[in-house]
Amino acid sequence: MTTKTTEKVATWRKVVVGVLFAIPWIFYLLLPLYDTAQPELGGVPFFYWFQTLWLVVSSILFIIAVFILYPGRR
Amino acid sequence: MSPLVGPLGWGIFLGFFVIFVFLGFYGARWRRGDLNQLHEWALAGRRLGTFLVWFLVGADLYTAYTFIAVPSGVFASGALYFFAVPYVATTFAIASVTMPVLWRWSRLRNYVTAADFVQDRFNSKLLAGFIAATGIVAEFPYIALQIVGMQAVLTIMLLGIVKNIKLVSDLALTIAFIILAAFTYTSGLRGATLTAVFKDALVFLGVIAILAAAPFAISGAFSTAFKAATLAASTTKGLLASGVDFLKTPFAAAYTTLWVGSALALYLYPHAVNGALSAESDKKLALSTALLPIYGVALALLAMYGILVYGDAPAMKILSLFPPSARGSLVIPTLAVTTLPEWLAALALLGVFVGGLVPAAIMAMSQANLLVRNLVKPLYPGITPQGETRVAKWASVVFKFLALGFVFIVPPTYAIWLQLLGGIIITQTLPSVFLGLVTDRLDKYSLMVGWAVGLGLGVYLFVTPHIPAAFSPLYPIAGHLVYIAVIALAVNLLIVLVGTGIAMAIRGNSSRIRS
Repeated sequence: MTTKTTEKVATWRKVVVGVLFAIPWIFYLLLPLYDTAQPELGGVPFFYWFQTLWLVVSSILFIIAVFILYPGRR
Repeated sequence: MSPLVGPLGWGIFLGFFVIFVFLGFYGARWRRGDLNQLHEWALAGRRLGTFLVWFLVGADLYTAYTFIAVPSGVFASGALYFFAVPYVATTFAIASVTMPVLWRWSRLRNYVTAADFVQDRFNSKLLAGFIAATGIVAEFPYIALQIVGMQAVLTIMLLGIVKNIKLVSDLALTIAFIILAAFTYTSGLRGATLTAVFKDALVFLGVIAILAAAPFAISGAFSTAFKAATLAASTTKGLLASGVDFLKTPFAAAYTTLWVGSALALYLYPHAVNGALSAESDKKLALSTALLPIYGVALALLAMYGILVYGDAPAMKILSLFPPSARGSLVIPTLAVTTLPEWLAALALLGVFVGGLVPAAIMAMSQANLLVRNLVKPLYPGITPQGETRVAKWASVVFKFLALGFVFIVPPTYAIWLQLLGGIIITQTLPSVFLGLVTDRLDKYSLMVGWAVGLGLGVYLFVTPHIPAAFSPLYPIAGHLVYIAVIALAVNLLIVLVGTGIAMAIRGNSSRIRS
């Protein structure tokens, strides 16, 4: 089974994309960083709102990664 | 007690349910294609753009697990269950990398399932059969979980109206499933896509409405709720044991392994693959997948509503009517009826109800695809494309009713418990599917042994040590300190890599001897 489907993508693009996809993984693995109650936001402890905020951050990073990985295609 | 949902609420619930059913059947006429072809019926002709894939896969992946199991877990055990948030943030990184590659292979060779790919990649119908069987089995408790979620909605809606809630809700569920089976049979994934957009709209409406209404219904909203939850945790032993304001340190390993294991597992589930393969192009698939963590904000809010409910005195009063083990599943439906005006509560309840129906349809469809493509076809190679589709359509009907029958027989606690076991076994297909996308050099026999040992070890760890603990508020790890799926996967991967190394050494030697 040959891999004709894999297209040529520049190495630098692959590296940058890999880093972008990995950032949320690294952040969430660092549990002590966000496992605390303060500062609160609207009565919600840090543990909850900061992880929720990172959902949006993750999405932004992934979208940038996709545009780098698929340049100029529709 | 007086009913929680009156005639107005029931009217709106049923009226909008009729629209849902119409959309399901209308799917057959939408973007017409030859529905006797498996890829037209099961993948909507692979023609969905970025936003439709987002709505479809969002509705497909954010299921009763999101609306019922996660809030229920936070309500009973506390912060540990917030692992669902890092889970949905990171799983889409894996999906954005793997699914477009699988999509390209599938478009090229007309694959409909991940097992189709494994069969060609490793030239083994047996390995593909194992992967397919694992997918079919793991999907059953997931469908059952959807039904448990729908039951929770009906329980709240029928409270104070009928005496025998169980009988009436079972009857209502059976009718809902007959309708669902009928439109899935006729419209396939097209029907699921249209109803998915409808579901997503209701879900977002419900989640945002509760967020907006909370400060009015509960003075002090989240501040009050977190204080009340802390108080409840200190007075009731075992309640919210993993922490309220943040995660207690002994649960750190469980938290991390639960989200890592769940993130690795999600796109091994057949229904996730099925949704991904319906995209129009690899870039559109990647883009819509990258946008899916945004949907997770709704999940995060629903998880926090598991705490919010502690501040809502009327809701806590309603929950106290039920035995402690049944309360968790009712958190979101109860919060909807106590904080929202009746018409809005009815729409939110319908959101949770169809929120279970839409994924159930796609799950049964993806099971049917695996059955026909990777178990039936290898045994009857002469089957025509039309015959293939006919078998798949009927199998999707049968699978739905098997899951329904399962829920009627076993208690709901078991459904959630078995869904966890499903996660452990589906994870064992990772080396064949995800590593297969990266390399074709893995040895197929090592993959089979790794899979078998992973399965055996996972099931063994799950049933042996602390079966009573499996039903305690900390059931996700079944009494272990780390998520079992991750342990079993580590052993599985080790076997695959070492076995492949040995196989390469032997083949390398024999070829050298021959030359």
